[in-house]
Amino acid sequence: MDQLILASGECDLSTSSVCAPEDVRELFEFRQIIFEIGGFPITRTVVLIFLVALLAMALMFFGLRKRSVLPGRFQAAIEGLMGFVRDEVAVGIIGPEGIRFFPYLMALFIFIFIGNIFEVTPFINFPITSRMAIPLFLALLTWVIFITVGFKRNGFSYLTGIIWPPGVPTFLKPLVGIIEFFSIFFVRPFSLAVRLFANLVAGHVMLSLLLLTGYVSLVTIFDIGVVKGLFGFAWWALALAIYMFELIVILLQAYIFTLLSAVYIETSMHVEH
Amino acid sequence: MEAISGSLALIGYGLAAIGPGVGIGIIAGNAVQAMARQPEAAGMVRTTMFLGIAFTEALALIGFVLFFLA
Repeated sequence: MDQLILASGECDLSTSSVCAPEDVRELFEFRQIIFEIGGFPITRTVVLIFLVALLAMALMFFGLRKRSVLPGRFQAAIEGLMGFVRDEVAVGIIGPEGIRFFPYLMALFIFIFIGNIFEVTPFINFPITSRMAIPLFLALLTWVIFITVGFKRNGFSYLTGIIWPPGVPTFLKPLVGIIEFFSIFFVRPFSLAVRLFANLVAGHVMLSLLLLTGYVSLVTIFDIGVVKGLFGFAWWALALAIYMFELIVILLQAYIFTLLSAVYIETSMHVEH
Repeated sequence: MEAISGSLALIGYGLAAIGPGVGIGIIAGNAVQAMARQPEAAGMVRTTMFLGIAFTEALALIGFVLFFLA
């Protein structure tokens, strides 16, 4: 029970039956400082970030340590995942040069996936990607990479090439230029970050509400009547169905983030003039 | 008449979600048609579908953020 309340700040269950955050801005803040290292407060989210990083590294290390020709089950799974990201995303989208970006895309995929899967992990129940700072940082990383690649490959013509697609009439160039510039350099990283954030927040809030409603119904069963109270189990059954749905969302969002990063890099590499 | 209370931002978010909702429906429907007509192109169609959905979704996401900001 404590796990569910942790995400929404402190409250007293004896006075109010549901713990809700006082303000939605709580979603963007970091509370519950566990301890401090040299002035840097360490919150639960920060601990979880390091846990995700450690898990990702351990998964790759133990999965690929032996490199046997006849892979075991675990090695085959990790190799299958890597093959998927390499063939479908890195090489499939960017082209043969995409193999250079494969390590970045693979790290992105596995970090987001493990961070997301904490949403449905018992006793953690908190996707780290539902704090805006983390998707925003990952999106900015992609942003820096695709701009750097664009200028490196195309020189200054990258800027003019990408905001004026071929065939734009001259009298429309100012308008199209403004729209494309805004869309490529601001909306792209922004929507990349917010997509991940919004999906995970929505899932987390939905699961918390359903599980809490079921819990509150069951603990107050003698106050609200047995029939109403037993509906708590129905809420939990619904929560279980949402768990299944969230598993799909978790995998899909990690895939889409990686895929779009690859697409943005590709469009910066091959600018049409 | 009783006064209606609540957040106007919530209505704004609902309005912002209409367009992308219809758009994503069109994209997914056409993708299913394309896959049914040409199953061997399913992989390419799926990738393009996700891309189209991602770009369409941006408007709903902007609405989502404005809902928090308002």
